[in-house]
This record gives sequence, structure tokens and C-alpha cells, in this order.
Amino acid sequence: MRTSFRALAIGAALAIGAAGSIAALAADKEQVVKEREALMKKQGADLGAVKGYLDEKNDLAKATAGADDLVQTMKKIPDVFPQGTAGGDPDGKYAAKPEIWSDWQEFLAIRDTAAQKAEALVAAVKTGDKANIQTAFADLGKNGCGACHGKFREELKK
Amino acid sequence: MVALSSGAIAAEPDPVTRGEYLVNAADCVGCHTDVDHHGKPYAGGRPLATPFGTFYSPNITPELETGIGRWSEAQFLHALRDGVRADGANLFPVFPYPSYTGITDTDAVAIKAYLFAQPTVRQPNRAHDVPFPLSWRWLQTPWKWLFFTPGPFRPAPDRDAVWNRGAYLVTAVAHCGECHTPRNWFGAMEMSRFLAGNPHGPDGKPVPNITPDPNSGIGNWSEEDIIGVLTDGHTPEFDFVGGAMAEVVKSTSRLTDADRRAIAVYLRAVPAKPSATKR
Repeated sequence: MRTSFRALAIGAALAIGAAGSIAALAADKEQVVKEREALMKKQGADLGAVKGYLDEKNDLAKATAGADDLVQTMKKIPDVFPQGTAGGDPDGKYAAKPEIWSDWQEFLAIRDTAAQKAEALVAAVKTGDKANIQTAFADLGKNGCGACHGKFREELKK
Repeated sequence: MVALSSGAIAAEPDPVTRGEYLVNAADCVGCHTDVDHHGKPYAGGRPLATPFGTFYSPNITPELETGIGRWSEAQFLHALRDGVRADGANLFPVFPYPSYTGITDTDAVAIKAYLFAQPTVRQPNRAHDVPFPLSWRWLQTPWKWLFFTPGPFRPAPDRDAVWNRGAYLVTAVAHCGECHTPRNWFGAMEMSRFLAGNPHGPDGKPVPNITPDPNSGIGNWSEEDIIGVLTDGHTPEFDFVGGAMAEVVKSTSRLTDADRRAIAVYLRAVPAKPSATKR
């Protein structure tokens, strides 16, 4: 009797825990999507700082800070795509496609490519040479950011 | 025609080299290659889902039996610009001949020269997955009477060379309207709403309004903003385009600076048409 009472107690605790964590997961997912969108917007701002230098809107220091930050945020990308977070903010423009998780290795490979190109952008910004920077910017944008968006980002119908 | 040609490219004596530039601008390889199944370039087989069914692109390598290797220059031009196959059958307008109809003789011949210099691939064409009677090619004949105006592109005499070059690229070679223009019940572009976006675009995806409407189009974009997205895919908010447009950027990034500027100049002068979706 004690054993089965303990089994019941454990079962109940697990069930409560599961229900609790499902609720937590749902709240978590919303949180993750928000973090994800914030990360991407930050990356956009960092890229803007680099382009700003090319367009003579800001100085090289700001561009350098932007490029350095990009390298850091690239590392965080897998963290904002945990299992079970396909989709996006229903009022937003975009959603993460489920292929991200079914093709996780490819997702990581594209992320690695983007991370390398962010490093290359840092190196180009160090030279201060605008032609180098434009080339590295375009390469990162098209073949890094664009490659992932092309395969794994859905535009939500409005 | 000097007004239509981007200086350096027009001066290129070798038609294959001229053709290479044009084939990139028209992005033939994009539709005519089955990338998802590691298909060979220009060998066809890529599915394109439309409201009328799924079409599979044909083999346009110069292979003699399964490609277009036996086609004469006249037959090639007739297909490219009038939507008629070498055997006389109509092509479906999923092939954007309603836009390519504007391509000049010189450019069309250069396109053929480049394609015919590509490696041959033996790959029979896959039949389209289109329900009867939409699969009847002869029905395209009345469709053409109703909806098709054959070319060639005529430069506007009251516009400058840059605008005209942009008009030629957008309306003919780069065929932007084929994705960005809404379509009627018969699948024809609604030219009164040219470039105003298509909520039911290729593969069922929404395609944005690129007229200068400030609320639903790109009215707030500068000329440099448009050049930016064509150069490397970045929007004024430093988002990077995805989906089908990412593929388009692969080819627009290889245009000359002058051609991208011409496209931007033309787009900013297109009539602004509001559409349902907000940017």
C-alpha cells in the first residue's frame, strides 16, 4: 500500500509538473519568439551601423562596434531557436519554419557560414576601406542572413 | 538600340558573353533547374505551383532529343517572345513570355547563344500536373487574343535613357511584374495594377507591392534603398529579404550598378497603386 501510495504521489507530482511545464513552455515560447525578434532587430541595427559608415552617416567606431556585436549575436542564434518554437508572433511579419528543426544540421551549417562572414566583416571594417567593407557586407547579407531567411523564414499572409 | 543597352554590355562583341549577362538578368537558371533535387543547370524539372496546377519547367540545354538543341534561331525567338514551341504548340504563360516579348532581337539572339553554349543534359521533360481542360494548349490561343500583347519594347521618347533602360529591364528582361502584379481569374497580369503586389503569388506566397504607394508599397524608399535591396538584399530597416526574393537578389546582385540604378529610377516613377496589405 505504501508503495502504490508513493507511486500515486510521484505520478501526481509528475502530472502537476508536466501541466505546469506545458503552461511554462507556452509562456516560454512567446518569450523565445520575442527574444528571437529582438536579436534579429539588433543584428539589423548593427548592420545599419556598418552601412552608415559606408554612407558617411556615422563614424568608423560605430561601425566597428556594430560588426563586433554581430559576431557575438551570431553565437546566440541556436539558443533562440529551441525545439517547439516554430511559428512566430501572429501579428508579426515572419514565422520560423518547422524545417529549421527537421533540417537542424543544415540550419546550423548556414548559421556557421553567417558567423564566418560576420568575422570577415569585422576584419574588413578594421581596414576602414569602403570597398572591402561593402564586399563583406554584401556577402554576409546575401549568403549569410539571406541564405537562412530564404530557406527557413516564412512570410505571414496578412 | 543604344538607348536600351547598358554601355559596356552593348559594346561586348561576343554574343555568348552578352548572353551570359542577360541570362543572369532574366534568371533562366532559377526556373529551369531543379535545385531541390540537385538537378543540372537548365535541364528543367523544377515544380512551380500556381492556382492552375503545378508546372514543371522544360529542359533548355542544347541536348538534341530532350532539350532544345534542334531549335533554329527563329523557333527560339518565337518561343521566347510569342509563347509558341518549336512544334507549334502554345507554351503556358507560367513561362513569362508576356514579359519576354519585349526583349530586342539582339538580346534574344545573345540569350540563345549563351544557352546553346551550355553543357547538354539528357533529361526528358516532366508532364505538367494541370487538370483538364486547363491542360489543353490550344486554349492558350484565345487566352492570347484576350490577354497577350506581343512586343517589342518601345522606348518612351519623352523619358531619358536611364528610365528607358529601367523600363526595359523591369517590364521585359527581369520580368518583375510576373511575380509582383496581381492576376485575374484567367491567370493574366492585371496591368492596370502593375507591380501592386500579388497575395497569391508563385508557390502560394504573398508578393509585395513595389509601386511608390507610401502605405502599402515602397513609397518611403529612396533610390538608394531600392538599389540596396537589389545589391545585397537589405531593406531600409536592414532586414534581409528571404523566400523567392532572396533568389532574385542572386541575379540582381550581378547586374551593373548602372542597371540597378535604372531599375530604381523606373520603379520610383511607376504609378502608385494602394493595395490591401500594409508594409
